[in-house]
Amino acid sequence: MTYSFTLSKPLQDYSTALREWSAAECRPYARQADIDKRRPDNWKTILDTAPVPLGRADRELPDPLPTFEEGYWVSHLAFYESINYGDIWVHPTLGNGGIGHLVVQAMGTPAQIEKWYDDAFVKQRGDTGFALTEPGFGSDTSKVATTATRDGDSWVLNGTKMYCTGGAFADYVVVFATIDKTQGAKGINAFVVPKGTPGFVVAKENEDKLGIRSWTTSELVFENCAVPLDHRLGWSAEGGDAEVGNGQGGALSALAWNRPNMSALAIGLAQASLDTVTPILKGQQAGFTPQRWASVERDLEAMNAALDRGRRLNYLAQSTVDAGNPSRSLSAAAKGYLPETVERVIRRCMELLGPEGASKELLLEKWYRDCKIMDIFEGSGQVQRIVVGRSLLGRLAG
Amino acid sequence: MLDLHPDEELTEIGALARSIGSELLAPSARDAERDRAVPPDVWHKLFETGLTVPVPEEHGGGGVPEPLTLLTAVENLAHGDPGIALAAFWNGAAALLIAEHGTLEQQQVLSRLATDPGVRSAVALYEGYGRGPAEYATTITVDGDRVRLVGTKRAVAFAASAELYVVAGVDAASGAQRAVVVPAGTGGVTVADDAGRAGRIALDAAQAADVVFDAELPASALLGGSDAGTLTATVQRLRLLTASAAIGTAVRATEYAAQYATTRIAFGQPIAAFQGVAFPLAESLIRIEAARLELAEATLVLLEDPTGDHEALVAQAVAYALSVGTQSTRQAVQTLGGHGFIKDHPVELWYRCAAALSALDLDTSRAPFTAAL
Repeated sequence: MTYSFTLSKPLQDYSTALREWSAAECRPYARQADIDKRRPDNWKTILDTAPVPLGRADRELPDPLPTFEEGYWVSHLAFYESINYGDIWVHPTLGNGGIGHLVVQAMGTPAQIEKWYDDAFVKQRGDTGFALTEPGFGSDTSKVATTATRDGDSWVLNGTKMYCTGGAFADYVVVFATIDKTQGAKGINAFVVPKGTPGFVVAKENEDKLGIRSWTTSELVFENCAVPLDHRLGWSAEGGDAEVGNGQGGALSALAWNRPNMSALAIGLAQASLDTVTPILKGQQAGFTPQRWASVERDLEAMNAALDRGRRLNYLAQSTVDAGNPSRSLSAAAKGYLPETVERVIRRCMELLGPEGASKELLLEKWYRDCKIMDIFEGSGQVQRIVVGRSLLGRLAG
Repeated sequence: MLDLHPDEELTEIGALARSIGSELLAPSARDAERDRAVPPDVWHKLFETGLTVPVPEEHGGGGVPEPLTLLTAVENLAHGDPGIALAAFWNGAAALLIAEHGTLEQQQVLSRLATDPGVRSAVALYEGYGRGPAEYATTITVDGDRVRLVGTKRAVAFAASAELYVVAGVDAASGAQRAVVVPAGTGGVTVADDAGRAGRIALDAAQAADVVFDAELPASALLGGSDAGTLTATVQRLRLLTASAAIGTAVRATEYAAQYATTRIAFGQPIAAFQGVAFPLAESLIRIEAARLELAEATLVLLEDPTGDHEALVAQAVAYALSVGTQSTRQAVQTLGGHGFIKDHPVELWYRCAAALSALDLDTSRAPFTAAL
């Protein structure tokens, strides 16, 4: 037997504890966080009630996530789904929600990795931001218009970045900028810009959004923002180090392995929706005709099965990353597979209840708003299909 | 003979409703949502068009449009803004039912409904859980000269401000479909305002709330007296008309996304040049055409055979139209990407409106869940 679809007992137990805690202690704050467009003020007190380590960044003492025999990336899938099962506000409060450090890890010199990954992220559990998207582009990352100009011992950044999760308060933001527009994608480089650097302006702390309103989605402006030479990833104070990939490639690598995690977030919301409506419907079963009740059961069964298919693809993708043999195509497949189905699952949960399902007395309508971004950020469904298509058809796919 | 082309009247009213939608409704969509009310000046102007409170001329109204004309009018007003269009349409639906089926005595109220834009009236139809009229659990039972009304209705527009409700249900003794006219303030009518206060994902300008009925009324409250006649067909038409708002929303969202796709540049060309972007929008357009025709045919079948059992036909047409609404609006958000997810563009509003409509009246037993992949 080579296959096993069962998580180890310790990971199962950890996930169950996390899921139950998130639903019981965090979910009651979900509506207010959506209204206030920020995490609850007492978020630290809420997190203190967790029965298992959360990997919190705000703690003096280390609070690392436990390690499981499945490996880092597979374990994280269970973590992301379970933490999001309570509500979408919880996960970003843990701090290490940003993904800027992943770019450092992928593109940095050993010295940069030590400073901004090992120290700032792993040891100090800092928040890191990822500033790639601009008003003029999203999926087409070759269109970076933010510029970085060498001025003596500094790189001077100018431009505007949008949809930077946590950008307003991240300890540092990795900013993608072009040093030479004539070089296209090759001219794009990544720069570490610490919070408080002169010229780093938070133009808009949070966008007015359809969903994930409790997440801080920032617009950042860089106005003659100067950083030392060694803040360019792949460079030291003396200049460029050995061959490093271009910034666009680094950005895409950083995104690739995180993609199934986003799918896991979506699964958490969909499972929460199913587990919300199922007992309500069962309580009303007496009022249903046998045919209607049979159709309800069939829908619930089909939706649970659909989520399980998505989980399997996620585990497949991330187990290859843990095995040291990652595949961009599998990551893209996992992310391309489920988000639209999650929209349908949550919507069907609303439809099964009727008007009550669209009411703000329940969280279904909120989760239906929250989940829409899952098929857009970190690579839209269309982009995932291009990535998967190219594994089959080469560059002709597009 | 087959004829699938709109006649002159249909075309004219459609164009008129479209222009009212774009000039009057669309600019006020965000205000109506924020205030959970249609702005008074918009309400008055819309009321004056006569499109939303269909009352015959002999009762002081502007006449009742042909059924297909009304379908087109609702679609095109919703093209401007579904929230305002439906608030106005639901307010006028009671007049439609009373004009069509009411006794002379009941029709006395029509002139007031037709001439005073300050009056609100409500129709109580929906019960949730995907149930159509054939499964309504609300009972309207005649006992001598009294009528007993028992049941809970969901998402009743203007529940708290209506002067009267028209409530649809089933005679517990005979199984016949019935409706009663219930004046506001009648004992045993409770507006469960919690849902209204909390609000919904969208369409809050209609101020809908759940209403619990446990009331005794005089027999004269029965709509149309003891013979309900073709009442069910009209109730079914109201469902089709509501669903046509989903089509108007889908059309607008698809047009907006298409416009965006032709101007947004990525990978060296407008994103419309990519099939991954263009095809889903084309599919929306195809579905919209199919859904619109299905609503129109169902409307005609109800007119031609108003006493027949058309529950399945209507439920399919409504479920399909509502799903076209949700699918088209999600595709519109998807086309705009991150820009579709923020309130700088209206597509996120349409995504929510389509979801609210879909939760209102989609018979899930006839439209099983399907995964996207």
